[in-house]
This record gives sequence, structure tokens and C-alpha cells, in this order.
Amino acid sequence: MSQHVLPPEPMTNEAIASRLTNLAKKKIRDGLIKKKNLVYLELNGCSGNIISLLNGQNPDFEYTMNSMVNILYSNSLMASEGEQAIQRLMNALDEDYILAVEGAVALKNNGLYNIIGSWKGEPLTGLKAAKMLGEKASQILAVGACATHGGVSAAKPNLSESVGLQTILPEKKMIKLPGCPVQPDWFLGTLAHLLLYGEPETDNLGRPLMFYSTLIHDRCPRRPFFDRGIFAEKLGDKTCLFKLGCRGPVTRIDCPTRQWNGHVNWPIGANTPCIGCAQFGFPDAMAPFISYDTTRVVKNE
Amino acid sequence: MKMQNIEMLRLQLNNLVTQARYDIYTLSSTNDLSMQNQILQRLWDSISSIHFLSELLANQAMNCTQQTLQPYTNHQQISSGSASSNPMNPQSTSRMFTLEELSKYDGKNGMPAYVAVNGIVYDVTNNKAWAAATHFGLLAGKDLTKEFSSCHAGQQSILATLPVVGRLRQ
Repeated sequence: MSQHVLPPEPMTNEAIASRLTNLAKKKIRDGLIKKKNLVYLELNGCSGNIISLLNGQNPDFEYTMNSMVNILYSNSLMASEGEQAIQRLMNALDEDYILAVEGAVALKNNGLYNIIGSWKGEPLTGLKAAKMLGEKASQILAVGACATHGGVSAAKPNLSESVGLQTILPEKKMIKLPGCPVQPDWFLGTLAHLLLYGEPETDNLGRPLMFYSTLIHDRCPRRPFFDRGIFAEKLGDKTCLFKLGCRGPVTRIDCPTRQWNGHVNWPIGANTPCIGCAQFGFPDAMAPFISYDTTRVVKNE
Repeated sequence: MKMQNIEMLRLQLNNLVTQARYDIYTLSSTNDLSMQNQILQRLWDSISSIHFLSELLANQAMNCTQQTLQPYTNHQQISSGSASSNPMNPQSTSRMFTLEELSKYDGKNGMPAYVAVNGIVYDVTNNKAWAAATHFGLLAGKDLTKEFSSCHAGQQSILATLPVVGRLRQ
């Protein structure tokens, strides 16, 4: 792939994901690349990532699932149920597949805090499924904060002893897509890249650079307020939300230009601070999400 | 006085719009990728500034500027970015803090946010990585020498950009 196929992201709002997925569409239509199998496993989490994915536009969700990949298993979306569903999961092991995992892996009681189905009368734990499928997958995507580092599932006091996917598959290379939830473009764009060119370029934490390279702060439309020291005093104020605890200055992701729900809006556009959901360590390391008693009035200094 | 301000804002806005128009024109006629990116970045900045100035104007028009849009008068306090020149005046470095005194400067209730690293006390009140006087679960008003070395070992350049306010009494 030449350097010029993928211009850096500021070209347009939705440039990368749409460019990638349009090319993937075309190549699939022309028979130049083959559909790949996808196993989408939901472990210990809220299923927020798959719900977010239903809102995908580049391409839309239906197209992705029907034409880009061959979906072998998905807890939420498949028609099969019970052992029949798990049978499909087991069949997947015989083929080549991309594994996408959302949710954390619960370790407590040998994984019994998170059971995704039953197999031959025995409960199938998320821990067992993730290990089994992770070992054999050709590529692994950790989708969302829980899968990448434990996220909300592993927040204190972490009763289920949840961990990120990498902890139980320490040797496997995986692409990490932190976010709570993941923006559909981040997932679909990465998937399209996998089909077209193989693994995308990632940073030292495994995040695709095409989405996770720029700080929110550097593209924030309210940046001029920060630079002039004009800070919001309460939620709803239209100025810089830094003093209320905005995590934009430490969070690397493209929310300001990509936005959410079909590019309608994003947290800061809706006057709430960034809570750093695409940051490793979220949520514990990003707390408090909002502070009202901070330095906005400097009295005696 | 106020009319003059509005006239100034208008001039700035016009300049930015002219700049943006020119950028759009250049963008449409160049194929140089790196140049395109530069221009896009500048367009982005122009639009942000236009947004800022228009907000300012709208606020003036609504006559509620005094409270919300009064920029800080003390510029030193704000721009930690420009503090790379490290305003290390003799008065500030000679100031001594005990741990107890330091703990008062936790960034709460109007107090500035200070942290100590290797015996030096730094002001992080307006540092962009310290929103609401917290940084990855750490709180201001403490000696964070250990924490700093565990995450930013060898990255003295981070400290060099922070304004120094004094030293920690050992």
C-alpha cells in the first residue's frame, strides 16, 4: 500500500472510515478480496459496543454483517440459541476467523461470574471461550474499554475480578479499540482495514493510529477559550470545560471531528466535559468526571 | 470604549474570513498532500477562532459579558503553555513549603493546584493534563516524586514546562 492511499485524518470529517469501507465494498463487489469470518464475542460488559455498532454508517451495519464479513457468532445478534448457538461457536474453531471481543474477562471462581452459554451440559464461561477462541484467531480486536483494559467491569471494587483481554492472552497480538462505547467507525474502519491491507498501523499501546493519534484537546472547537483562560463554571456553559474536569487534554481520539450518532454531536458539543472514555485506565483513573469546587476563582495567589 | 471593542472584533473576524477564503482557494488548486494538511489545519484554527469571536460578540450583544467572558487579567496564571520560559523569579524559588502547607494547595475552592517533585514545588493549576486539579487519579497538593518517576522517568522536559513556585522543606 502506498503512503498516499490513506491521507491523515483531517482531510474531512469522516474521511478515513468511509474511504476504507467504500474501497472494501468495491473490492468485495469486484471479487478482489474475500469475506472473512467474524466471531463477535460479548463477555462481561453491558453490550454497549454492539448497540453502538448498530448505529454504524460507514458502511451501515447490515451491509457490514452481510457483505463484508461472514458472522459466525454474536451473543446479541444471532438467531440460534442455547446449545445450538454454542455449536456454531465451536464450529468456528475449525475455520479461519477474526475474533472481536467486547466486555472484560471475569476471573473470579474460574470465570463463573460470566457465563455465556452451556456446552454439553457444562456452563461455558467467558474466560474459557475467550482463551479457546483467542488462541486460534487470525486477528483479534479488543472492542471497547472493558475488553482493552477492564474498563467499567474492572472498576473498583471489581467484584468479578475482571481483566482486559490481553491479560489472559498475553502472547497474542491484538488491536485495541478503547472507548465506552466504541464509535462504529473505529470498529468498522479497522475491520475494513484488516480486510483490505491487513493490520493497521498502531501505537505502542495497540491502538490504530488512524483513529487514536490526536488529542481531543488539539482539535477541540473550544480550544480558543482554553488558550485565553476562559473557563466554564457549570455544565451547560459554552466555554472551555477544563476546570470542571475535562479529560480532552489527555485523551487521544478523533471525537471532535468524527462525532457520534451519524456525526450529529459529541459530549463537548453537548456542553459536558470529556470523561476520557477512550483512555486506558477509564473509568477509575479518569475520576472525578465532574468537579465544581476547583480553581476557577484564584483568591489569594 | 465598547464600540471600539466591537470594531476590533469585527476587524479580526474579517481577517479570519479573508484568510479562510484564501485557504479554500489554495486548497482547491493544490495537489501537494503535505500542503493540503497544513492548510486544513489552518482552516480548522481559523474556524475555531471565528467561532470564539462570534460567541464573544453574541455575548456582548446580549449584554451579559461581564461575568462569563471576562478573561483573566493575570496572564501568567493562565498560559502554562507559554510558561516554557519558566518564570523562575528569585522570590518564587525561595519560598519554602512543608508538606502540610503544600496540602492546602489542592486546587479546591479557589486554591491553586501545586505538586512537588524531587523537592521542587510546581504550579499545575492551568496545566492541561491537570483538569480539575487531578491527573490520572492523582490529586494536587502532594509530593508526587514517586508517581512521577514511575510514569515519566527521564522525562525532565515535562517538569521544565511547569512554573516553579518554591521548594519543599525536607
